[in-house]
Amino acid sequence: MRFHSRAVFIIYILGLLLVALFFLDLRLGSISITLGDMWGHLLGRNTLSEQELVILTKFRLPRVATALMAGAALPVCGLQMQTLFRNPLAGPYVLGISSGASFGAALVVLGAGATGIVATWSLAIAAWIGAGTVMLLLLFVSYRIKDVMTILILGIMFASGLAAIISIMQYFSQASALKSFVIWSMGSLGNVTGAQLTIMAWAILPLLLVTLAYSKVLNGLMLGEEYALTMGIRIQRTRLIIFATTSILAGTITAFCGPIGFIGIAVPHMARFLLNRSDHRILLPASMLTGMVVMLFSDIVSRLPGTEHILPINAVTSLIGIPVVIWLVIMNKKAQSL
Amino acid sequence: MSGTEEGHIISLDRFSIGFQKGKALLDSIRLSVNPGEMVALIGRNGTGKSTLLKSMIGLLTPLGGECLLEGRPFGDYSLPERARRVSFVSSQLTQLPSLTVGELVGLGRMPHTGWMGRLTREDWDQIEQALSEVQMGVFMDRKLDCLSDGERQRAMIARAFAQDTPLMVLDEPTAFLDIPNTYDLIALLSRFRDRGRSIVYSTHDLETAMQCADKMWVIHEGRILEGAPEDLGLSGLFNDLFSSSGIRFDEIAGRFLYSRDRKGSIRLEGDREEALAWTRSSLERLGYGVDQSAPTTIQVESLPGRTQWILQEKGGSREFHNLYSLARFLIQKQ
Repeated sequence: MRFHSRAVFIIYILGLLLVALFFLDLRLGSISITLGDMWGHLLGRNTLSEQELVILTKFRLPRVATALMAGAALPVCGLQMQTLFRNPLAGPYVLGISSGASFGAALVVLGAGATGIVATWSLAIAAWIGAGTVMLLLLFVSYRIKDVMTILILGIMFASGLAAIISIMQYFSQASALKSFVIWSMGSLGNVTGAQLTIMAWAILPLLLVTLAYSKVLNGLMLGEEYALTMGIRIQRTRLIIFATTSILAGTITAFCGPIGFIGIAVPHMARFLLNRSDHRILLPASMLTGMVVMLFSDIVSRLPGTEHILPINAVTSLIGIPVVIWLVIMNKKAQSL
Repeated sequence: MSGTEEGHIISLDRFSIGFQKGKALLDSIRLSVNPGEMVALIGRNGTGKSTLLKSMIGLLTPLGGECLLEGRPFGDYSLPERARRVSFVSSQLTQLPSLTVGELVGLGRMPHTGWMGRLTREDWDQIEQALSEVQMGVFMDRKLDCLSDGERQRAMIARAFAQDTPLMVLDEPTAFLDIPNTYDLIALLSRFRDRGRSIVYSTHDLETAMQCADKMWVIHEGRILEGAPEDLGLSGLFNDLFSSSGIRFDEIAGRFLYSRDRKGSIRLEGDREEALAWTRSSLERLGYGVDQSAPTTIQVESLPGRTQWILQEKGGSREFHNLYSLARFLIQKQ
């Protein structure tokens, strides 16, 4: 478990990449704000106009912050699920969290017919409640059921069941409501501003610290729950903490941004491949870092620099993540040995 | 056993195991392990070997009775306290993560490290020592998925060894191993035993167990018997144990023989002991007994550089240049 120089080097590179993409993402847009002007403003020289400042602080910074939080949180959820279920194809949504959130969102948009700006808040709250309900159910189930694989299957069945109900709701809904829901389900990083951003940060940042503190325990889980138990790990408590953190992290991101596909599944594998390590004490922070880089990159791509169009973020992350998962399936040997 | 009750590393009293109340696999067990003792748990498939081991160390809930670990009820220990006293090696070799051997063995130090799991110089010494004990010092940075079954099993044992516990419990550690690897592994466990650790392992390999275990627990017909291998052999237990299958226990040789139906008997002549012994075992394999009054004779002749066999029967005689062709002839004759 020594930190080899390769890992240190990779993390250093990822860090540099993160800083570069951070500023690039801030810079790009219909109004280009140069790095020099941003830097000058930070130093107290009024190099930014009133309008530029508003664009930067009210729109671009919140969006970048949202991307960073989603990028850090989703891979953590994915990694925790992959380790707990000892399944390389597990992700943050295997427990039905995203379906719960979608169901909540569907109730508000399709059921109550809320649209427009008013909907943004109620949508987030409903999605959050949906994800939370699924989480509570899962925690209850996991308290009763000993076998973790049974829980995985229940989670998948749960997700499919909710998806079926949502499609029925879609079938019977109005065109305008349907459109709002579809747009929500495409994901967006740009809708989280002001108070929402504060709430999101409060929900996510402390939990990321909790997951970091649990990385030693995740290492113990790699050999399966039986070994973990004989190495002194309190399985029930660990499982509860992993389920709770995953649900709140993934649920919150999904509530505010809509579902964001494949980041949670693919990024831990990218980090594992880059570092060539399985020690969670380095893999977990590296997954956060890689996730943030990938999310910033996806955000830049989604805004199609040089054009007026914006692609749905869910589609972009999926297109980036899917090749990774395909590669994983083809390199089956690697997949089996996580 | 009397007088040493206090010193048991683990002792079971009226212990019952199974998955359903009223349907115990084994009921009211009384067993014990002394410090520095190697115990082999023997039983046929499905008799509850794994269940017993796992119930004993808290991986399964026993149906009833008491398990004392170093004199205190097992349930009184916290999980980390247990982990510093009992280590476990499971029978499953599959689905190991792509860790390096060093990382795997390092996991054994978990119960001894702080909340971040930082390994101290002392921990690294333990890890290196554990690896050199299993003769895998050079494998430190090798990935687990690049190891053979034997090496992987030794690495798993090194992990348990690094956990530094007075008791090591192994479920079928030799199940996937060939004979040389099996003996290597048992020799390895014997060395740990000689360092004063207690070892309990399950196996259906009675022969190896007879040669190295201090004590055997044998599951037979819903009961479990405890004793030195020779005590149990003397009681005739081993013949009962596999009585339904096609093998019998050779009480004199202390090993199992595959018993075929008797096909007949043959007289054996010759002067080279070694050639006679191999011929005899070939005949026994085919179901022929060696009887010096039998009408059919096989003459084993040792010529310079080769051996030949001459079969003499009523109808005449035949010559064979190896035991295989002799055996083919005898089989076709039936």
